[in-house]
Amino acid sequence: MFLKSKTFIAFSLALLSFSQHAFSLQFGNPVDSDKLIKISTVMASPDDYLASPITVEGTITGVCEKRGCWMTLASDKRFENLRIKVEDGDMVFPMTAKGSKAIVTGKLDKIQLSLGRTKALLAHKAQQAGESFDANSVTEAMAIYQLVPSGVEIIE
Amino acid sequence: MSNKSSINWFKLNRNLHRDIGYFCVGLVIIFAVSGIAVNHKDDWNPNYKVSHQQISVSDETWQLDNDELLIEQIISHADVSEPVKASYWVSPQEFKVFLKNGNNLSLKLNQDIINYEAIEPRHVFQAFNRLHLNETTASWVIFSDIFAGLLLFLAISGLFMIKGKNSPWGSRSVLVISGMLLPAAYVFL
Repeated sequence: MFLKSKTFIAFSLALLSFSQHAFSLQFGNPVDSDKLIKISTVMASPDDYLASPITVEGTITGVCEKRGCWMTLASDKRFENLRIKVEDGDMVFPMTAKGSKAIVTGKLDKIQLSLGRTKALLAHKAQQAGESFDANSVTEAMAIYQLVPSGVEIIE
Repeated sequence: MSNKSSINWFKLNRNLHRDIGYFCVGLVIIFAVSGIAVNHKDDWNPNYKVSHQQISVSDETWQLDNDELLIEQIISHADVSEPVKASYWVSPQEFKVFLKNGNNLSLKLNQDIINYEAIEPRHVFQAFNRLHLNETTASWVIFSDIFAGLLLFLAISGLFMIKGKNSPWGSRSVLVISGMLLPAAYVFL
């Protein structure tokens, strides 16, 4: 009887382990949970996080349709997100992962835009949101931030 | 006693070309099909079939202060039965509901529409593309290198398969030279 219980527990643990693996996708190196920080904290002062790797987590809200080369993670703050960007082919994020949770370790990258590119980007965002946009209202160039991952875990 | 080799190089070359050619049939098809698919990725998505359906939702009072009720409203309007995976406010004007099957619904308040995005993986093309773009294991890269070597062998051995007037060293050398000049022309033009 005792042996049967032990067998049952071992089987259950094996099944649990299998089920966890079956519902998670791993890309690159393992993620480092010790470096976990909220996306809202990072986005509040992104320049402070450029030097060393960080780990963030959030719901996947968008994925590159053609190559799976980027995805966006929802921030813990409303209306905010962070883009995760890889070189084409380094990691391929599945479109069907939208709505799943992802944990990502990587380095934050700052891209300084020109005024022209800033206007183009904001115009594109406004068009996607179905809002009107006045290019003359933009007078300063902005920087965008994206995380270049070394490891990604997607949990279904 | 003669030192002359008894190996029939012409026959050996033909036999190797034949058997390696047979071996490469499947690989050539995979690389050719996915090559065409990836070449035209700007015109169509080789990995997923993505379709959009817009549902008009004017004259609706939305439960904007309660996400759970809002999700129920959206699901009811879209008439879907799939369980919900997550939701997200993209902006004050857009709310997204992600479904377990990978599809999603976007409520666009300023346009009075719900956009239903259906995502259907193209499994065969996905598999071909994964192989073509080396998105699998490191051992596949080694295998791909070997395959590239076999293709080189097929190309070179092909030059020594036919003797006589149809050999590539006579008038048909025009075809061989054309095959080299055409890509060169694209580089320099």
